[in-house]
Amino acid sequence: MDMLELLNFYIIPGLVLGSIYALGAVGITLAFAILRYAHLAHGDLATLGAFIALAIVQASGMPPLAALPFAMIATAVVAVGIDKGFYEHLREKPKIITVMASLGIALMVRAVVQVVWGVDAESYVRGIVRPETYWGLRIKDREIWTVVFMIVLVAALQIFLARSKWGKAMRAMSDNPSLALLSGIDNRKVVVLTWIIAGGLCAAAGVFLGINTELKSMMGWQMLLPMFAAAILGGVGRVEGAVLGGLIVGVAEELSVLVLPSEYKAAMAFAILLFMLLVRPTGLLRGKVL
Amino acid sequence: MNSKALALVGGLMAATALAAAPAKADVKIGLLGGVSGPIAAMAPSMVEAAQLAISQVNAQGGILDGEQLVGVVGDSACNPQGGTDAATKAVNIEGVTAIVGPHCSGAVLAAAGSVTIPAGVVLVTPSGTSPEITGLDDNDTVFRTVPSDDYQGRALARTLKEQGYDKVAVAYINNDYGTGLANSFKSEFEAQGGEIAGYAAHEEGKASYRSNLAELSSGGAETLVIFDYGDGTGLTLLRQALENGFFTNFIGGDGMKSDAPIKELGAENLTTFFASSPVGEKSDALDTFNEAFKGAGGDPDAIFVTTSYDAAFLLALAVEKAGGDKAGVAAALREVSNGEGEAILPGEWEKAKKLIADGTAIDYKGAAGDQNFDEAGDVPGTYALFKVEGDAFAVVSEMK
Repeated sequence: MDMLELLNFYIIPGLVLGSIYALGAVGITLAFAILRYAHLAHGDLATLGAFIALAIVQASGMPPLAALPFAMIATAVVAVGIDKGFYEHLREKPKIITVMASLGIALMVRAVVQVVWGVDAESYVRGIVRPETYWGLRIKDREIWTVVFMIVLVAALQIFLARSKWGKAMRAMSDNPSLALLSGIDNRKVVVLTWIIAGGLCAAAGVFLGINTELKSMMGWQMLLPMFAAAILGGVGRVEGAVLGGLIVGVAEELSVLVLPSEYKAAMAFAILLFMLLVRPTGLLRGKVL
Repeated sequence: MNSKALALVGGLMAATALAAAPAKADVKIGLLGGVSGPIAAMAPSMVEAAQLAISQVNAQGGILDGEQLVGVVGDSACNPQGGTDAATKAVNIEGVTAIVGPHCSGAVLAAAGSVTIPAGVVLVTPSGTSPEITGLDDNDTVFRTVPSDDYQGRALARTLKEQGYDKVAVAYINNDYGTGLANSFKSEFEAQGGEIAGYAAHEEGKASYRSNLAELSSGGAETLVIFDYGDGTGLTLLRQALENGFFTNFIGGDGMKSDAPIKELGAENLTTFFASSPVGEKSDALDTFNEAFKGAGGDPDAIFVTTSYDAAFLLALAVEKAGGDKAGVAAALREVSNGEGEAILPGEWEKAKKLIADGTAIDYKGAAGDQNFDEAGDVPGTYALFKVEGDAFAVVSEMK
């Protein structure tokens, strides 16, 4: 196998897949860092975002990338609504109850998607797209868009967290909730803000998965494990860690086919997750929470 | 659509409620189906078709001495655990004489192995297609009215070899369906002198299969055989193979003969895509059934309704023939459908009952085929190879 083949069929698909995982993992890591629980409905929120974009694409005929901002806003609103409707009432209870509740939310969101859009596979654009060749590298436009959008979104988020007043408030909540509350940070506003960002990123992950493959009602749920693996690999609470973790998990899954029988590809994320929890639970970049 | 599904579920619940309190001397048949779980969309029509057979029996004089035949619906949930639970309830609590179902291969294997075979109750599945079912050590109590995937895999291998495909790669989904089909295809294709240049299972629900495809194509095959579901992972696999030019020809099993690839990828991109699928033989029996099922408000084109109807009707005939004796049902089942005797078409209960009373041999000609069981309790199937034409599938050739 030559270098180009390795890049074309293993590394590039891995990076694209990794970018999608990264978008989801950033949301998971934020929820983990600020709200302090594992949010299991993340995958199904991504599915919802992808299908909302589908509805927009079908109703208006605009390309999926143009529908992305609207889907992100809509999903963010849904995420905030879910928090207000369910998680808020559980805030004072042990966190494990919220984790279980989020599993229930996952099933509810999925059921809504199945009732509204059915269980058949759908796609944004009918037909197939053959890749362009750049110096021997076979890349599709949508793959470039996926990676570029991921980088832009995450960079924007990083700047927001580092520079803006509310970004600093979020970091403060993540570092030390009691101290943050004492210094006058509005807990509720930070939670809402967290859900807006996590919901929007969820929708982005779903839409990009939909653009690169198909839309199915189980698509997000099946991404949940790799996304969690990515968040933990990078270090829980570290946005740049989640990106790094996502890319590593994506590439590792694709490369695993070279050494493992292909039916064990799905086990790769699980293996990484277990290995990290055993060897270095703080993650590659020293997460703040675990 | 949804209100229809609700109505079906309501109907099933009503049927269950009715079945819970039958009159004293009724004869019960278990109707185990994947009412919940992955095939929940298909199960209602299948159970309805079996109920049609039962209502015909009751409308035409009932079973044995004018007793009512009652279908006891159970949910096998399309998994081994659900299959075992539903079969245990049907056999031990309801005391059924025989069972139609369960619907999924995994559930059939579990229900048969742990419940019906030890209890000596006859089980006829209308849709469990795994070759594993053939090999069950079942004391001749497990039958099916749907052909085993083993036939399909072998027929497909012979057909491809005949049409000049000498070297293929095989990608199959890692479950009972995919594994069974792929194994029988592989052994027959190699026996015919073909070369399998790549053979790998894949897990469902991943976003990218390009590395799998690269690995499969590294053997140098130009043709990819896919045993998967066309509205699931098979679609993703087909899309990525086409987009990246890994293979030029694509052959699918019956799971791939779905509208999803045409709808999502476009017929113009599927000129080198073929799929094999069982085809119903046109017969008077099929027309009779279609008419009756339409009259009962069912959709005769729904999947596995013919086999479900046949399973229920055959069991009713066998129970009648055996005089209600549970232990004699298996032998009677073979007698009422061995290709010899007066032909009985779907719905001809009164005629059959009279002939059985007279001691005349009868032979049931089912909606899905003649239903003459072989030694393992399997029936042969007819398959055809389909291509995409316009926005639908069209037959290319018969498969032998």
